[in-house]
Amino acid sequence: MLQVKAGDLERMSLLFERHHRALLGFLFHLTQRREASEDMVQTVFYRMLKYRNSFTEGSNFSGWMYHIARNVLKDQKFGSGSKYDPISVHEEKITGGTLADERLEKKQSWQQLYDAMDMLSESDREILILNRVKELNYPEISEIMGISQGAARVRVSRAVEELKKIFVKKGIKRDS
Amino acid sequence: MMKCEEYKEHLADWHMGRLEPADAAELEQHLNTCADCREALAATGFVLDSINNLQDPEPPIQLKADFRAMLDDFKAKEKKSVFRGNIWSWLLQPRLPLAYGLVILLCIGGAYLLGRSNKQGQEAQERKQAMLLTMLDNPLASERMKAVNYTGDLKEVDKRLIAALLATLNNDPNVNVRLSTLEALAALGDHSEVRTGLIKSITTQDSPIIQLAIADVMLKLQEKGSVGSFRELLKQKGLDDEVRKKVKETITKLI
Repeated sequence: MLQVKAGDLERMSLLFERHHRALLGFLFHLTQRREASEDMVQTVFYRMLKYRNSFTEGSNFSGWMYHIARNVLKDQKFGSGSKYDPISVHEEKITGGTLADERLEKKQSWQQLYDAMDMLSESDREILILNRVKELNYPEISEIMGISQGAARVRVSRAVEELKKIFVKKGIKRDS
Repeated sequence: MMKCEEYKEHLADWHMGRLEPADAAELEQHLNTCADCREALAATGFVLDSINNLQDPEPPIQLKADFRAMLDDFKAKEKKSVFRGNIWSWLLQPRLPLAYGLVILLCIGGAYLLGRSNKQGQEAQERKQAMLLTMLDNPLASERMKAVNYTGDLKEVDKRLIAALLATLNNDPNVNVRLSTLEALAALGDHSEVRTGLIKSITTQDSPIIQLAIADVMLKLQEKGSVGSFRELLKQKGLDDEVRKKVKETITKLI
């Protein structure tokens, strides 16, 4: 990113290669809207180019990218009811099991999980989705969310507890 | 000794391997003796694994192509502004003995850069147009609307784009998209393909708003060739009264 900042804009295509998949995943799991998420990936990269001077040496690129992604998400207003059916995203992947039953089961468990996540508060959902991004640890998460590392740790743990309760309420069990 | 409640706050970190070794050892020792916490840890692990096993959607190839177009466009614009910036810094340099040399260099360099940026500008235009063509096929009406509105930024449009816009005007299910398309096409009235396409479209549109708007466009373009199609339209049963009045007016004004 420092090279991009110094004027080598072409370097951004490397960063795109490396990070766009995870970024798309982050945006998609938070919005469950596929096309809007794809648009937002583009917007995030555009903003990174435009505001490249705000990237400071020594900071973590992923952290900076997700920070911008959060702002893009905040700017985005979604109309209700246009939610994309998240399950069809996985449709192409559910070809492994030969039995129709098996496929159906997988589909249902994804649907259950998305429904459960929908019941979380926005900030709980966000911190859990950030937490699953491999490049991000507490220092980055705390920076992205503008909270202390200790607070980030506590919030991840509390969000997990919340989701546990929802799982119990909805009867989602292990090995089912 | 910590209480179970306190241990429970560390379960997620333990599962993710983010606990300090000493804290992890202490927790593990407690787990050996506390069935309750073992159960809680299993539940925590299940929740975290479920989230981590969520599959990321496969990015479509188009996403990369769009990024490429955006980056090239950005680079082209950036180059232009760097070039402008340079002129000013050159002019403001107080080195008079070098002035003549600099003026000559500037002219050569300027001509070179101008030629290059024109070429790049043209490439960017072509890419933009290609992007608009794909956007017009987007299932989201808002995206198609964007594409239609962007056509106003293009300096030149080719026949492919005109054909795509006409197809949108005739077939798009969304009336707002059709209306914007009509506006965009009206701005391209110099092209003969646009005029013939619009005339053909008169009898195929069924929305009164569009029919009224087409009449306006034809008046603005003073397109006498449309009179036949308008007469045809008047023969249609169930034509909106307002539209009928407007079309009759239009025909009188055009003849």
